[in-house]
Amino acid sequence: MVASVCLVSWSANEVQALATKAARGGGAPAGQAASFGRAAVCHLMAGRSAQDLIAALAALPTGPIVTLPVALAQVLETTDGSGTLLSDLPSLAQSYADTLPFAHEIAVTSHGIELSIQTDKAGPRSSVRRLDLPDDLLALWNDLAARILVPESEASRLGGAGAGLTDND
Amino acid sequence: MKDFDAPPQVPLRKPDDVMRLARMGSMFPTRLSFLRSLMRRLAADNVTVSRPVWMMDAEGFGHAVYTLELGGHTYSLVAVSTDLPPEMRTDRVIATAWDTAYVLYDGVPDASEIARITAAVPKQEAARFTERDLILSRANKSVRLFQNVVTSLRAGQQPDADMVRDVGYLMRTTAVYGNGKFGIADRAVIDTRPGLEGPFAAEMLTVWLIRHFTHDLVEHVGGAALDPVLKRHLGIGNSTGLGMAPFLVTHPVLLNNWMLARETALARVRAVETLDDGQQARIVELAARAAQHLQEWTVPDPEHQARIVKLRADWELARAGLDLTAEHPMDSALRGVADQSLDVQELMVALLIEPFGDLVDGLAECMGDPFGAFCQPLCTVEAIATAIEGGFAWALKPDYDDTECCGQFWYVSEAKQEPRLGLRFQEDGADLESPLDIGRRIKALYSDLAGQSGSAAQFLAKHPEHVLAITRVEMGAQYPYGEIRDNLIATDCLPIDMLRCKLSFFGASKFDPKSDRWTRITLCQGAPLAQDLQNGADDWWLPVSAS
Repeated sequence: MVASVCLVSWSANEVQALATKAARGGGAPAGQAASFGRAAVCHLMAGRSAQDLIAALAALPTGPIVTLPVALAQVLETTDGSGTLLSDLPSLAQSYADTLPFAHEIAVTSHGIELSIQTDKAGPRSSVRRLDLPDDLLALWNDLAARILVPESEASRLGGAGAGLTDND
Repeated sequence: MKDFDAPPQVPLRKPDDVMRLARMGSMFPTRLSFLRSLMRRLAADNVTVSRPVWMMDAEGFGHAVYTLELGGHTYSLVAVSTDLPPEMRTDRVIATAWDTAYVLYDGVPDASEIARITAAVPKQEAARFTERDLILSRANKSVRLFQNVVTSLRAGQQPDADMVRDVGYLMRTTAVYGNGKFGIADRAVIDTRPGLEGPFAAEMLTVWLIRHFTHDLVEHVGGAALDPVLKRHLGIGNSTGLGMAPFLVTHPVLLNNWMLARETALARVRAVETLDDGQQARIVELAARAAQHLQEWTVPDPEHQARIVKLRADWELARAGLDLTAEHPMDSALRGVADQSLDVQELMVALLIEPFGDLVDGLAECMGDPFGAFCQPLCTVEAIATAIEGGFAWALKPDYDDTECCGQFWYVSEAKQEPRLGLRFQEDGADLESPLDIGRRIKALYSDLAGQSGSAAQFLAKHPEHVLAITRVEMGAQYPYGEIRDNLIATDCLPIDMLRCKLSFFGASKFDPKSDRWTRITLCQGAPLAQDLQNGADDWWLPVSAS
């Protein structure tokens, strides 16, 4: 079944920001949420399944959003920069690896990815294009992202976040 | 990286001294500020601005299109002016209507694109935009000055020069959105284009064109031309609040590159051994201009006005103490004000850099972040601890359990999804705190490292909450000017200092704080008009009125 797609096209920066907020709203630590935001852009740019992103968010507060950045750190610690990222979502693991600033090679397996990283060499710059978001992914992201928003209060309005009510100077 | 011999330089000022909020909150624009760099680029490219569309009624309501070519690309400003009831005119980001609204468009919009933009742009955040729309902005009139200028022009007179000097702009922007917001183009679409590679270059181009539009609009409604001297002194205002502040925390590579370029410029200038007569005269002239600028900088807030008044007096002493005939005169000049206020010190920094374009202007090319963070991972607990001890003493110092050290929290408001700062012990929402508490996070990491050893990844597996802190520690060695070395959740943290730092890099002057959380500023005051880009395009540091 093909998921319906919102007719609005999104900038990569919007997608990254919204995915980051969604991960935070879902309970991911801040660092992992930021990593998920970057990985989500790579994932969708590469045409990989949006269902991977939904599954990862559903697994919070544990699961790949929390563990994949740590698994990448383990590979970076190896003397030759090589290792395996075990994941039920190998294409998502690939997207995480693609966010690395270093040159790297990836082989996708059924249980994850084999990764070889060169930390002394920069990776290629990613191209950017507009993204279409499936309705179910967009709805989930919006729902989760809303959980980190704080309602305005009289105190916050009086706190000087903005100018006066009118500014006819 | 360009292959050339860098000019001599003295050691850089230490990040522990430079990256303090109080100093950042005392910064002035320099010739490396983005508007200055852009003006030099526009002049070098012989840019001309045309106005292919002007559909305005007699009262100045309608739309216009301005077009220019830069670096082999054509850009257009689409400007829409609407009749706004006074009660709806507010600078707050929660506003829903504005006097004018703008899109910087990639190319030349045809009739259908103009129709699309003129329908959408007055709605701002409530509308969606396309990849052809590069920047989104809006501006409100300074009703007092706009009407005064119109009345004067209609009477066949020029406006009151004192009023032009005191207000400084006909309109002020209340937001200038870039990088994909509300569907506009990602910055990556334009960040390799000649002329727009620099940080916020597209935003600054938009602001400069908006200023151009405000001049045209007031002349159209007034029915006569403004004196070019007065016109050049009419910049474009800006009203900026907390939404801008977190940028410096969430973009450590950019912050590092901005500050490093500025500090390198200063270090090069301080290494200058002697000055010839012409150089000495130029510095004396600029120091006097700074004094006049301070005299013309007045603000309603008594506390800030007192600070300006003190700076005026201190600057006179600093000017009197300049000995430009000695060896290493620039270094001596900075050392001579080392015991003065931060305001004097940072004004002196900006002055010293100003005359030496040949030494420093190339550094503007190093202020972007085209590749993202590139730093080596710290693979052991010991390496992380050592890095914290070496570069993050500022983060370990506060007792974050003390209510004064954690009295504020950053959050995102539900109403506008904009950053805000709350009082932790008086307001709700601290459980949804945004991760701008870098110092506290690094101290918590350091605490959990105690008694641990070996693999950093194994440590992270047990403490996944420390991923962000470790990332920042890893960046510390590569980007020493990337962290604000102060506690951003302390009760006495003043976000206005973050705003002033960022705005000074834009090229802002005449800071007019309305609280510790938002400020008005003036951009482009004294900047070249479109018709005189080839004539004195780069001599408008700290603008002063001609009278």
